[in-house]
Formats: sequence, structure tokens, C-alpha cells
Amino acid sequence: MSGDRIVVRDLSKFYGEVLGVNHVNLEVRPGLTGLVGPNGSGKSTLMHLLTGLLRPSGGSIEVLGITPDRPEELFRLLGYCTQYDSFPAGATGLGFLRHALALHGLDRAAADERAWRALERVGLVEAARRRIAGYSKGMRQRIKLAHACCHDPRVLVLDEPLNGLDPMGRAEMIDLFTTLAREGRHVIVSSHILHEVDAISDGVIMIHGGSVVAEGAIRAVRSEITSQPIQVLIRSDRPQVLAARLFELERVVEAKLVGDGGLLVRTRDADAFYTELNRIVLATGAEIETVAPADESVHAVYDYLIGEGAGGGTT
Amino acid sequence: MSASPDDRVRRRQVATLAAAVMRRSLLGRGALPVLLLVAMPLTLLLLRALFMPDAMRAAPTRATTEFAEAFHYFLLRFIVFFANALVFVRLFRGEILEQSFHYTLLAPLKRELLVIAKYLGGVATAVLVLVPTTTLSWLLAYLPHGAAGRSLALSAEGLGDLAAYLVIVCLACLAYGALFLLAGLFFRNPMVPAVLFLGWETLTPFLPPYLKALSFVHYLASFAPVPLSSRAFAVLAQPVAPWLALVALLAAALALVALAARLARGLEVSYAAD
Repeated sequence: MSGDRIVVRDLSKFYGEVLGVNHVNLEVRPGLTGLVGPNGSGKSTLMHLLTGLLRPSGGSIEVLGITPDRPEELFRLLGYCTQYDSFPAGATGLGFLRHALALHGLDRAAADERAWRALERVGLVEAARRRIAGYSKGMRQRIKLAHACCHDPRVLVLDEPLNGLDPMGRAEMIDLFTTLAREGRHVIVSSHILHEVDAISDGVIMIHGGSVVAEGAIRAVRSEITSQPIQVLIRSDRPQVLAARLFELERVVEAKLVGDGGLLVRTRDADAFYTELNRIVLATGAEIETVAPADESVHAVYDYLIGEGAGGGTT
Repeated sequence: MSASPDDRVRRRQVATLAAAVMRRSLLGRGALPVLLLVAMPLTLLLLRALFMPDAMRAAPTRATTEFAEAFHYFLLRFIVFFANALVFVRLFRGEILEQSFHYTLLAPLKRELLVIAKYLGGVATAVLVLVPTTTLSWLLAYLPHGAAGRSLALSAEGLGDLAAYLVIVCLACLAYGALFLLAGLFFRNPMVPAVLFLGWETLTPFLPPYLKALSFVHYLASFAPVPLSSRAFAVLAQPVAPWLALVALLAAALALVALAARLARGLEVSYAAD
């Protein structure tokens, strides 16, 4: 039953002999999902395939049980903010949304009401009657977001939606995405700005060279990367003492003093390590300020799986 | 029986898209070439009216044959043909070149309905431009002949002729429109096949009867109210009965639109390739 999920099975897309995506399998549940990967990794191709703007060379897609070759049903529940920075000639912000909503079958009054609501949501009320051609890059990004969510879709697919936004605008849009996700929608956000994806995503899909290299909650993905010891940062009043005792443990690969009172430990078994740590803290009487995983982040997982040399320009 | 909510939505979608096509074609950047094109026959006929010799002015019946020739060889084969080409090839190609086509594809409507809506918008635009152009051209052909010309134009026979010309223009919009709609979907530069088809249409009088059947102008000529003189080397063929010509033109338009709708189902957005 795929009625509440986005299910992708063995999806491939080739542009002639050039690979777009290759045998992708995914299952996306409600919430905010980050789609990360270097430039040219296949993020936009995957999003185009999900929304029927591209036809797959093989495999299948179901968005809440609907296939992309049924646009009359799909786009009632899906909104897509593409990376294209182009608009119909002469359109104003309000006219652009009115037209989109009229294509949803809404009458003029209902389309107006929804258009204004969407403009308010993205902070473009004052510029509503101005031509989009005169908008700044950030405003154009906002009107695209308004277009994607003006019909109140259950699924939002957003391709680099934070591009061109100033820090305040980014914060507002991130807040909007998390609100929409909390309302039970599927929000898929592609970005190459990893710390932003990290801050907002419930789960992540990592794509590289057209293939999905990891999928799921960050912690789960991280725990599956057994080739890389897990890093734990401890802040304590006696880091040297702790370091000496922890270094005796078989599971600890490295214990390194960092900054003022910090101790970075690398271990192959996090659960066993935390148990041992409690015992050592009791035995030594050290005061612990914080204990936190240091590499359960999108950035760290990305580096482990794809590597900094992937050439994607990720930050 | 009242329409279902789905039917109402579909009707609104078609009306919205058709209206958008008309707005873009009549008020957008694409309107200028069409307006310049339809201004050509009007300007030529106006010049003819201004500089007409007195001897010609005194012979109003010449207007009937002269307009018939002008309509068949210039208005229909050149103005109506290229006006339709300019309107219809831009229906899809215009948005693709502008890189805004994906917004249309992101609307909740079947691709087939999208094609039909755009086609109807194109037909409405072409008819809205070409019917007044033909009517004005017709008036400009008769009015210089003074009171006799006016009375000839407004007689039952004269108005009947005008109605026949307008029927031909409307049918040409339906048929050429369908052809150019398909060309706009299929070719990156649809004006090339348009010019090739114009060549084919121009050659029609010289083609054997079974090849004449593959041209639109052969069927459109069946509605001509005034018989045309035969051209040298023209191959004579039995004219098609108007009812058969009507069925043939409508069937061809329907088939071409159906083919365009089928092609549209596989449309992808890949602006880099265009």
C-alpha cells in the first residue's frame, strides 16, 4: 500500500547514452526529506521524474498511489518548485498565481483568495501587482514557492528552494517548510547547502552519480557506515583523565583533546561506548557538561559516503 | 442534465488556457508579425482604391473576379496560411523557448486536454484576426467602385460571396491550425515544414488528381463562390462536393489534433535540448 508514501522502484533515466539516474529505489514518508548530492548527481532529474516532467527509461514511480502519467490527479496533490528561473512573459505575481489556480478549476473569487494567501505566506503581498520580470532573484524564488504551494498540495517537491534568498528569507522559508512538514505533508527539498538540510530534515536521500547512496534518518544512515568509527564529543572538567581511561577500551579507536575541556572520541560501537563511559565517569568522579555525537550530521555522512572531492560545490 | 463537477473543472481549465493563448497571441510579443502580415492585403487594397483608374472604377463587376483571384492566390495561400503558422507553431514552441512551459505541464489536466485547449485558443485567435481582415479586404475591393460597387457588395449575391469566403477562412484556420499545432510539437524549427507545405499547396493545381487530395487548398476551393480561371499547365480535376470537402477538412483537422495529443503525452521538459 503506497497511499501515504512516495515509492520509486528501479527507476532509471538515460539521455541518449548519458546517465541521469540509475536503478533508484526509494520510499519517502511524510515529513521533511533532504535530497543532497553534488551538482550533476541526478537530483533535478529525480525530481523531474517524480513530477512527470521527464519520462523514465525504466522503473516506476507512485506518488501517494498516483503515477506521474496521470497529471490530472497528480498535480491536485503535488506542487513543484523547479530550478528554472523563467516565467511567462509579462506576468505579475498575482496574475501568475491566479492563472495557476484557474487551471486547478477554481473560479475567479476562489483563485484570488488562494493567490493572496500564498503571496502572504511567502511575503510578497506588496509586490503582488508588479511584473515578475522586475523582481529580485529572492522574490522570484518566493513566487515560485508560492506557485508550488498555492493549491495546498500534500506533496511539495522543491529544487534548491533557498537559492537566491537572503539569510532572513532563508530562515522564513525554512520555517515554512518545517511547518508544512509538521502538518503531515511530504516536503522534499534538494539543496547543496548541507547544514541547512541537516537543520531541517527528518530524513535524507543522498545521491551521487545517478545512484542513491543512502536513504533514511540521519542517525540510522550514520550508524550503517561501519567503515567510519562514530565520533562523540565530550565536554568535561577533567578531559585528560577521561581520555586516559577511555583509551584503554578496546572499542575506542581514538581519543583526542580538543579546545577547552573538549574530548573527541572515535569508537566502533556507540552503544557499548556510552555504557562504558557511564562506568568511567562514576569511577573517576569527572563532571560531564555535554556528551553529543559529533558526526551524526548530513555533512559528515555526506563526506563519508560521497567525499569532499565529489566536485559538487556543497557547503 | 447538469454538468458534473469534473466537467465544470475541465471546461474552466480549457477556457483558461484558450484565453491565455488568445491573450499571448493578440497582445503579446508574438502579435506583431501576425498584425503586420494581415496589414499587407489591407494596405495593397487601400492603395488600389486610392490609385484606381476611372475606367476601372466604372466597372464594379470586375471587383467580384478580382477579389476572387486575390483571395485564392494571395489571401488564402499566403496571408491565411502564414497567419495560422505564426499563431499555431507558437502554441507550444513559444512557451518552450521562453522556458515557461513547465508551469503549464504542472497543472492538473490531461495532456490531451491541454492540446485541445491550446488548439481552440489558436483557432479563436486566427478567426478573430482573419475574419475581419477578409471582410475589410472584401469591402476595400468593392467600395472604390462607388454606389454601384456598394450596392453590388450589399446585394444578396455579394453578401453570399462574402459568407462563402469567411467559411473558407474559418475552415482554413481549423485545418492549417491543426497542422501547425502538430509541427510546433514535433519540430524544433516548425517554419521549415510550414514553408515546405506552402510549396506543396502552391503546386496543387499542377498535381495529378490523386495527389491534389493531399492538399487542403484543393478542398477549400470547393467553397469558392466565384470560379477561377484555370492556370497554364494546371491539371484539371473534378471539384470536390462541398459536403465532402467539409468532411475531409474536419476529419484531417481532427486526426492531426489527435496525433498532437498523442505526442503531447510523451512531452518532456528539457530546455537545454531546445
